[in-house]
Amino acid sequence: MNDLDQLKELLFGAEKQALDSISERVERREIRTADVADILPEAIHQSHQKDGELVESLTQPVGECVQRGLRDEPETYADALYPVMGPAIRKSIMHALRNFSQQINEAVEHSVSPQGLKWRWQASRAGIPFGEYVLQKTMRYRVEQAYLISRENGLLVDHVHHESSKIKDSDAVSAMFTAIQDFVKESFSPDRTGRLESADMGEFTLWAVHGPHALLVCVIRGVPPKSLRADLSAILERIHFRYGDAIRDYKGDTSTIPDVEVELERCLRFEAREESGETRSGPPIQIVILLLLLVAAAAFFGVRSWMYSQQQDKLDAALNATPGIYVTNIDRSGRNFVVRGLRDPLAADVIDVAGSVDIPADRLTVSMRPFQSLQPEILAARAAQMFGPPESVDISVSGTTLHVSGEAPSVWRQTLQSRFSNLAGVDALDVSRLTASDRAEFSERVASLSRSRFFFRSGVELVEGDAGRLREFASDLANLLEDARSFGYSVAVTARGSTDSIGDAAANAALADRRATFAAGVLASAGVDARTIRQADLDNTDGPQLADVSQRYVQFDLQLESMPDLP
Amino acid sequence: MTPLTSKVCVVGDFAVGKTSVVERFVTNHFSEEYLSTVGVKIDTKEIDFPTLGMTHKLVIWDVAGTEEFGAREMAYLRGASGYIYVADGTRAATLKAIERLHKQILEAYGAAPGVLLVNKRDLEPDWEVSDERFDAIATRFGNAYRTSAKTGDDVDQAITRLAELIIDNDMRGG
Ligand SMILES: Nc1nc2c(ncn2[C@@H]2O[C@H](COP(=O)(O)OP(=O)(O)OP(=O)(O)O)[C@@H](O)[C@H]2O)c(=O)[nH]1
Ligand SMILES: [Mg+2]
Repeated sequence: MNDLDQLKELLFGAEKQALDSISERVERREIRTADVADILPEAIHQSHQKDGELVESLTQPVGECVQRGLRDEPETYADALYPVMGPAIRKSIMHALRNFSQQINEAVEHSVSPQGLKWRWQASRAGIPFGEYVLQKTMRYRVEQAYLISRENGLLVDHVHHESSKIKDSDAVSAMFTAIQDFVKESFSPDRTGRLESADMGEFTLWAVHGPHALLVCVIRGVPPKSLRADLSAILERIHFRYGDAIRDYKGDTSTIPDVEVELERCLRFEAREESGETRSGPPIQIVILLLLLVAAAAFFGVRSWMYSQQQDKLDAALNATPGIYVTNIDRSGRNFVVRGLRDPLAADVIDVAGSVDIPADRLTVSMRPFQSLQPEILAARAAQMFGPPESVDISVSGTTLHVSGEAPSVWRQTLQSRFSNLAGVDALDVSRLTASDRAEFSERVASLSRSRFFFRSGVELVEGDAGRLREFASDLANLLEDARSFGYSVAVTARGSTDSIGDAAANAALADRRATFAAGVLASAGVDARTIRQADLDNTDGPQLADVSQRYVQFDLQLESMPDLP
Repeated sequence: MTPLTSKVCVVGDFAVGKTSVVERFVTNHFSEEYLSTVGVKIDTKEIDFPTLGMTHKLVIWDVAGTEEFGAREMAYLRGASGYIYVADGTRAATLKAIERLHKQILEAYGAAPGVLLVNKRDLEPDWEVSDERFDAIATRFGNAYRTSAKTGDDVDQAITRLAELIIDNDMRGG
C-alpha cells in the first residue's frame, strides 16, 4: 500500500468500501440477477400502473414465446388448454348447431310455400343464399326493453325501452326477476349452476343473458332468432369490458356507471320486420293440402253420417206414421239400424216400411213385440179380419164407431150387427150406407109368388087342383117369409077375396070376405104368420051381373118391406 | 337530486307482520287478513332527503317468514344493503328468531345496517316483551322501534332510519 493509497484510504475509506461493493455487485452477474429479481415484480407492477407501455413492449416477445412454446411443446400446451378449450369448443359447436337447425327449419318451412318460391327467386336475383334470405325475411321480432341488472343484489343498473312499450316499476321488475332467478336456481338446479335463460309470456319472450357481474334481460316481442342471443351476449361482454368492476361494486348509485345507457340501447336495435305492403305468408302448401284433405275427409264422413242420420229420421217418421207400429227407439251403428218397439200383427211389416224410405232389409235389425193397437186403421183391419166382408164393402173406424158402407148380403150384415161389439175399442156401428146386395134376387122371389090366384067352384070350395096348389103356395110362402126374416126383410101378404057379380052385392062381399079368411086360414096352418094377412076391400063392380067363374077367387099380393134396424 | 337505489330485506318469524309493515310503509294501508308470503314479495318506495339533496329508493324484498334461513332465503338476501328485522311483541319467541336470523346474516354476508321493529304495539295488553328485554336488545341492535302496522306507529320512522343508515354506510364505505 503506497502513500496515495493510504491517503485515499484515510479520505474515502468508507466510500471506497461502498464503491468496491457496488462495483462487485455490478460486475458479478449472480448478484445483479438477484437484485433485478428482487425488484422485478414491483417494477412491472408500477410500470403497468403508470401507462400501457409495458404491455406494448411485452406483447411481442411474449407472443413469440407462446408461439415458440406451441411449436416446440404442443402436448404441454394442449394439456394445459384442454379444460378451457373443451367447453369452449363444445359451446361453439352447440351454438352453431342451434343456429343451423333453426335455419333449416325455416328454410324447409318456406321452401315450398308460394311465399318461399317468391323469396327463392328474389334471393337468387339479389345473389344471396336462400337460407340467409329466409332468415332476413322471417324474423319478425323486436327487442322492446332491456334491463341491466346487478347479479350481486338484483338492483337495476339501467333500463332502456322503446317509446311505445309500457313500463312498470323497473326497479321492482329487476328485483323480481332476480328473485325468480334465485328461486329457479335453488329449486331446480341441484348444483346451483342452472339458470333461467328464457321465459315465454304470450307474444313476448324474455331472454336473460348472464355475465359475471350483470344480467341482461331483454323483453322481446315476437319470435327472436337464436342468433340474437349471441348478439346480446356480445353487448353484455362489451358492458362488462367497460364497466365490469363498477357493476361488481354497484350499490345503487347510477353515477358510478356513466353512459351505460348508450351501450344498453344497442339492444333495442335488434328487430326484424315483415316486408312493408306484404301480408304474412300463408301456411306452407303441404299444410294447406293436408288441411284440405282433412276437411274433405271430414266432409265426406260428415255428409255420410248426416245422410244416415237423415235416413234414421225418415225411418222413424215413417214407422211412427204407420198404424199399429209403436217405435221405442232406433239405434244406428254406421249404416245399420236396429228398430225396437211394439207392433200389432195386423200392421204393415217394418221391413216394408223401411223399404219405402229406401233402407234395404240387410241394413235392418227388427226387434218388435206384439200388441193390440186401437188405432182406427187397425181396428178396421181387425173388423175386416173378423167379419170377412164382401169386396164391395168398406170398413172404417172413427172414434169408437165402426162405419160399414157398400153392398153386402143381408146375412152378413146381420152377423155384423150381432157381433160387432166383440171388437175391443168399438161400441157403435153405423150401417146407414150399407145396402143389401141380395134385395133384387129376393124381390124377384116375392114377385114370383105375388098375385097368385086360387079359384073357387062355389062358396069356399076350391076348384079341383087349387086346394093342392094353395097348400103348396102356403109352404112356399112360409119358406119365403122365413128367408125374408133371416135376410132382414119383412114381406106384407094381402089376401083379397073376389066373387062373380050374380046375386046380392052384400052377400057377395061377405062371400069374398069368407074366401079371403078361408085362404088365410090355409096359410096360417102352414105357419105363415096370420098377422100378415089382411082382408081386402071387396071388389065392387057395378057392371052387369054375370056368372063369371073367373071371378070366384082369392088373390095373394106380396109386398117386400125392409125390416126395421135392430137396436 | 342524486338518486340512490338500495336493496333492503325484511326478515323475521312467521306472521310477525313483515308484509303488513311494508304495506303500511309503501301504500299506507293495513289489512287484518293474514296471507302468508310465499317466496318473496317485492315493493319499492322512494324517500326524499332534502337536507342531503337526494332521493333514496328502497327496493324492499319481503322474504317469507322463517325461524331459520334455508338456502333459498339466503339467496334472496344476497347483496342487501340493509335489513328490516321484524318481531312480534306478543310473542317473545319471535325475538329469539331475530337473533338467530341476524347471526346467520352476519356469518354469510357480514355486517350491514339494520333496524329492529317489535311490531303489534297496538296489542300492548298481550305484550310478552318486557321493557327490560326490549331495552337490552335495543342497545345491542342500536336501532329498535316498537311499531304497529295497524296504527302505523313508528313504521315510517323505523324504515326511514334504515334508509339513512344505508346512506351513512355508503358514504363511509365509498
Ligand atoms: N294488531 C295488529 N295486527 C297486525 C300487525 N301487523 C300485522 N298484523 C296482523 O298479523 C297477521 C300477519 O301479518 P303479515 O304481515 O302477513 O305477517 P308476515 O310476517 O308477513 O307473515 P309471513 O309472510 O307468513 O311471514 C295479519 O293478520 C296482520 O293483520 C299490527 O301491528 N297489529
Ligand atoms: Mg308476509
